Amino acid sequence: MADITTLDALIISLIGFAIVFAVLIILMCVVTLMGLAADKGHIITDKLPRFRNPFKKKKAADDLAAADGTEAAPLAAGTCGELTLIRTEERDAAMIMAIVADSLGTPLNQLRFKRIERMEDADQADAEVK
Amino acid sequence: MNFFSNILGASGSNVDYGDTFQGLWESTGFFNLQWGNVVMIIIACFFLFLAIKFKFEPLLLVGIAFGMLLSNIPGPVSDWIYHPDLWVSSTTVDYGEVLQTGGLIDILYIGVKTSVYPCLIFLGVGAMTDFEPLLSNPKSLILGAAAQFGIYVAFFLAVCFGFSGPAAASIGIVGGADGPTAIWLTKALAPDLLAAIAIAAYSYMALIPVIQPPIMRLMTTKKERAIVMKPTRKVTKAEKILFPIIIIIATCLFLPSVAPLLGCLMLGNLLRECGVTARLSDTAQNALMNIVTICLSVSVGATAHFSTFLTKDTVLIIALGLLAFVFATVGGLGIGKIMCWLSKGKINPLIGSAGVSAVPMAARVSNLEGLRAKPGNYLLMHAMGPNVAGVIGSAVAAGFFMAVFGGGA
Repeated sequence: MADITTLDALIISLIGFAIVFAVLIILMCVVTLMGLAADKGHIITDKLPRFRNPFKKKKAADDLAAADGTEAAPLAAGTCGELTLIRTEERDAAMIMAIVADSLGTPLNQLRFKRIERMEDADQADAEVK
Repeated sequence: MNFFSNILGASGSNVDYGDTFQGLWESTGFFNLQWGNVVMIIIACFFLFLAIKFKFEPLLLVGIAFGMLLSNIPGPVSDWIYHPDLWVSSTTVDYGEVLQTGGLIDILYIGVKTSVYPCLIFLGVGAMTDFEPLLSNPKSLILGAAAQFGIYVAFFLAVCFGFSGPAAASIGIVGGADGPTAIWLTKALAPDLLAAIAIAAYSYMALIPVIQPPIMRLMTTKKERAIVMKPTRKVTKAEKILFPIIIIIATCLFLPSVAPLLGCLMLGNLLRECGVTARLSDTAQNALMNIVTICLSVSVGATAHFSTFLTKDTVLIIALGLLAFVFATVGGLGIGKIMCWLSKGKINPLIGSAGVSAVPMAARVSNLEGLRAKPGNYLLMHAMGPNVAGVIGSAVAAGFFMAVFGGGA
């Protein structure tokens, strides 16, 4: 099948493109189902407690025990290691760090972030001024 | 020879200085210099300049350009490092002869010829890739599929220009904007075109910030580019662990020929996500990736010998590669616009162009165009979904070509 005609090429192109679409649509369905299972999983476990993840339960119990202990967490909620996150989600922080690294042209592992704090929304700030 | 013999012969020495100096002169690069060597050395230096000065894919282009430089230095230097005759124009390679008579690049080239390097690069890519944007927005996979349009347009055009089916498939895969995939397919289907295709693929990947924005502005309105997308849902750890396992099973059931590439990609990702192989993930992302990148780039660059590189076909491949990139962007943006319309303006069509699998360059370009249209409109996370979907899409497209032209090998 070394030399092919333009008609063959057109047919192979159409079939190939269709196959790429078909495979990726199937993967999309699989991923969507996985997502649905993950989202609805807690509904099932709420209704049927015996299906709860025993490891998760143990971890929750451990967390509770730790919270009751004398060592109070000194960092703000959502804090990861040395980086303090204030009113900022981890995902937003990751995106901000990636954008800063890209803007500076410096690899992320050469930058050190100490604190990321969400400022008041613009509308609220205006309202306070008024 | 007579000149040296006449001068030195009078001394009565037993050594034939004439022959010695003649041999020395004939072994120099100056004696063996051909115009093709000069052209290729200039091209190699130009690529080094682009990589070092403008940071065009420097991690690969420096190695490729230096390999090109080494193999095109005239005279015995290139004989000591690379022997094209061991590789080209034979269906089966005599690895015994390669090991006995081959030079440094010949030994390194075994990794290309056996597909080991592209697969190991995919292992590292998998370990470095976070599939969360894709998992949180599975529709990204459609955009990743749409952006493979360029592959098939370039394939069709290559056949129209007289290339054979396997060569056209190798040229078309440049539109996937995925270097390892292009190398993997080309070494199997059209090994004599490997250097031209690898250089075209990596050069255009580096030029994505130049190629894509005009097409993006041409195909979308400012209102569409300014669409702010909602944050996507959070993905659980279990989903991230299951994803590579399920994907490799599902994909290989349909297209077994993609197993080497996608298998390594998903293994790398599993090492990253499973949480119990941090050391292996770290090695795949850093040490292994760097070592393989050096071996791959230098050996691919060395295959660009002027005798096989300076041809009309190379010019055509470069031109078709550019068309492949353009149509890949058009395909992604086209479906992006349709999805924007279907979602009643909730999806920014700019993320469609990130479906070409140059990670993360294409996603960054989408992000920048979104910011230009509306300050604060960060599309990076949304564009990463189609971007990583494009990696899977181009691997599937390559697997299809391999199944059609490579006898399913």
